[in-house]
Amino acid sequence: MKRLSLFTKCLIIFVGCWVFLRFIVGNVISVPIPGSVVAMYMGLIIIAILVHISVEDSRFREFLRPIHETLIDDNKRLRRRVIAVLIPFALLAYTYSIFAQRANPPGNPRDAHPSPPLELTYKDEVIGKMQEVENPFRHYEKDDPEAFKAHVENGRRVYYQNCFYCHGDDLDGQGHFAPHLQPLPANFQDPGIIPNFQESFLFWRISKGGPGLPAAGTPWDSAMPVWEDMLTKDEIWDVILFLSDYTGYQPRTFGEGH
Amino acid sequence: MIRRYQNTIFLTLLLALASVFSVADAQNAPEASEEGKRVYEKSCAHCHGTEGRGDGSAAENLLPRPRDFTRGLYKIRSTETGQVPTDQDLFDIITEGMPGTSMPGWDTSLSANERWEVVAYIKTFYDGFKENTAPRQIDLSGKIAYAEQSIETGKALYTELGCVECHGNVGRGDGTSAPTLTDEWGFQTWPANLAQGWTFRGGSETEDIFKRFIGGIAGSPMPAFEGDSFLHFGLTSEESKRLTELENKDEMTEAEDEESAAFYEKMDAAVDIALRITEGETLNAADRQSFNNAMKVVYEKSWHLANYVKSLSPEKRPEPAIGNNALRSQYIGGELPTLGDAAWETLKASYFPLVGQVILEPRQFNPTIDSVNVKSFYNDNEVAFLFTWDDRTHTTASEDEETGKMLEDAVAIQFPVKVPQGPTAPKPYFLWGGRLPVYLWYWKASAPEQVTELTAKGISNAEVQAVQSDLQAEGTYTDGQYNLWVKRALKTDDKKDLQLEPEVFVPIAFSAWDGANGDVEAKRVISSWYTFVLEPVPSSRRFIYPPLVALLSVGALFGLRGFARRRNS
Ligand code: HEC
Ligand code: HEC
Ligand code: HEC
Repeated sequence: MKRLSLFTKCLIIFVGCWVFLRFIVGNVISVPIPGSVVAMYMGLIIIAILVHISVEDSRFREFLRPIHETLIDDNKRLRRRVIAVLIPFALLAYTYSIFAQRANPPGNPRDAHPSPPLELTYKDEVIGKMQEVENPFRHYEKDDPEAFKAHVENGRRVYYQNCFYCHGDDLDGQGHFAPHLQPLPANFQDPGIIPNFQESFLFWRISKGGPGLPAAGTPWDSAMPVWEDMLTKDEIWDVILFLSDYTGYQPRTFGEGH
Repeated sequence: MIRRYQNTIFLTLLLALASVFSVADAQNAPEASEEGKRVYEKSCAHCHGTEGRGDGSAAENLLPRPRDFTRGLYKIRSTETGQVPTDQDLFDIITEGMPGTSMPGWDTSLSANERWEVVAYIKTFYDGFKENTAPRQIDLSGKIAYAEQSIETGKALYTELGCVECHGNVGRGDGTSAPTLTDEWGFQTWPANLAQGWTFRGGSETEDIFKRFIGGIAGSPMPAFEGDSFLHFGLTSEESKRLTELENKDEMTEAEDEESAAFYEKMDAAVDIALRITEGETLNAADRQSFNNAMKVVYEKSWHLANYVKSLSPEKRPEPAIGNNALRSQYIGGELPTLGDAAWETLKASYFPLVGQVILEPRQFNPTIDSVNVKSFYNDNEVAFLFTWDDRTHTTASEDEETGKMLEDAVAIQFPVKVPQGPTAPKPYFLWGGRLPVYLWYWKASAPEQVTELTAKGISNAEVQAVQSDLQAEGTYTDGQYNLWVKRALKTDDKKDLQLEPEVFVPIAFSAWDGANGDVEAKRVISSWYTFVLEPVPSSRRFIYPPLVALLSVGALFGLRGFARRRNS
């Protein structure tokens, strides 16, 4: 087999790197790499290739040889013609695609977990400081397992009469209305939610819903209802017990590190 | 016609028993176990009830109701009419869920093992599963390929066999009987919208649909192949056609009367033969032959029907109008097209899925409107929209028995009054505004040529604008579908109106009411915010620069070759 020319090698490295960055890495980490980042890396690769071929005169000449041959050798006529058609055509398509590009609507950047207010309230009634309020029924878990179970059961009832349409049967955020809401309903099976927040935070989110979010949480977009209008205080505490019982995640307790 | 189906249910059961098709493989669920009970009680009981009676705490708000397992009625089976499902059927439906209902798929949240355990457990609610005979499965081997010819045949059968009565002329579930249907348990049920295959409970492949015809949808009023009337069991295709023709006549002559009576006799005779098979009688060759022929005709009809039904829906549910699919109004030089203009056909609609409003009381847990499709054109002064949505009933005014409120079909299209500048700028609350107001176009079925402009600062805080712009509107209802055409000037003098400019992305959202489903005021279907834009006219530079670049590159290549040759010589 003929040895590959230096030019072909460089071409293979260049195309290989592009395919790797553009298609393979994105798939492995399951987020596509932004076009501008790919472009930056490809720029670096071009510089590296240029440095490599220009350190020695002979290497540079070797690199140019196939180009030179393609341009003038009689027996390379076919290749020459193919290239003379392909390059202008590719440029035509590329520039057309730039001009024909349509603008896409802006995204909805939002802070999914903005800071809560200092005070926890239910309707207008102040319950206490956000950092201090605990779930009044949580202590039954140790003191009176039967009573605790009754509260969890009540929470289950509240959940399946009110929440599962959005947050899903399995609390995974995939209720039958969920796919058509933006932002998507929270997925309580995600370890980033319940274990990260105190019960008072969850109480705040449930009682005030989307409209109670600060501006960073884009309160105008969230479909999360204001449950203090529809549920009693106890029902909200119970549904919180259910969320943690069903998923097996314990909410963060007061005093745990910050 | 519907009464006729009921008369034949008994017959059907016998008929199904009589037929001679392949027998299911051995049942493969494990014995019922504690594990199955545990899974059931954690994941299913709050809907299907601890005792399997379909009366869990969530049930009250749901339509269709969660299934009552104690009756052994299963809609989605691979087995014949009157048979219980196979274990595989149960496993599959638990895995996939039932689209268009609250029954979720459990493929990701329960392991295959857990799903098999729960199959075994739900079977304990119904004694019929204890019989050891395997249910007979529907034979799929005679499949008729999906092709033009078969679809046409299916289309004719669709009208001939009375599907129209429930599913409507073109299948949108708007037949005359549609509002009157109840299921086995007495709850209201709607015929499927055959143009929305993604809502079919048992899947939208031709095989799936075929199985629903042969096996029936147990518990629902949708008839299965039921002996003498539904699929004209015992008649050839020609005879069946002729019978429909006769029955559609306002008045029959004496001769025609006799002809029709003869057809009924023939069907009765066919059913009689089927009955004799169930009774264990061995048939003579002639009778056996005529029975087999009758079955063959029914199977063929069902394949044609399945192909036709399949042809009514897009391949899959359309992509919602987000990102690249956002609603883009197209520029037109002259007059904007009016309702019915062929120009609308040239645009691809943007699809806005709608969900039940379950955020404020009174809530709508069981929406009947799936989505609204939108197209738009604009010119230098005006913009025109075409809103299209399916609704099985045309309700212009009907009094709600419970509340005394007037129910009516309607739609509202919502924009902010001021377009937010930049992606992080505040928008009005998506549900009819709040602190920031929204600008609304409200249309109702009783005044199809009028759109009212509203300003709202909350769902119960909307007022009709004092100054109404010159909005033109025209709405029609045909075959289960509303089309609403609206035209407005891009700019108005009213500060409370949204002002439109090309290239600016504008938030848009929808509310819709189906009067027949009890929708009124806050009880409705809604969407969250989407975006729409008056798409800029594509720059004509796209025809100038690219060819120029290509030409230059050709020049450069020639130059390069010339240079190389000169160097060489
Ligand atoms: C109409 C749909 C809908 C319903 C019904 C609903 N939610 Fe939500 N919920 C959402 C959406 C959307 C979000 C995410 C947006 C946000 O953070 O506000 C959310 C967020 C939440 C959060 C915040 C999670 C976090 O990451 O901070 C909690 C807690 C919550 N919901 C609990 C509930 C409970 C409990 C119920 C029933 C009583 C309920 N939701 C009913 C739509 C809904
Ligand atoms: C949110 C409520 C809900 C939950 C939770 C739920 N289902 Fe269902 N299920 C339904 C509804 C509603 C139907 C009836 C749909 C219809 O009739 O169109 C149904 C129907 C069924 C059917 C009948 C299918 C048929 O062919 O007719 C089976 C089997 C079933 N469910 C099993 C389960 C199992 C097993 C679980 C737990 C792993 C479960 N369901 C959890 C709501 C639910
Ligand atoms: C008596 C009224 C009635 C008639 C007549 C009727 N249907 Fe239906 N059909 C229904 C109802 C009700 C449903 C919804 C069943 C459910 O999901 O419970 C349905 C559902 C369907 C479905 C969806 C199945 C699924 O998987 O969800 C198809 C397809 C269908 N019908 C086709 C037909 C065809 C074709 C005919 C004529 C041969 C027909 N129907 C005649 C009432 C009817």
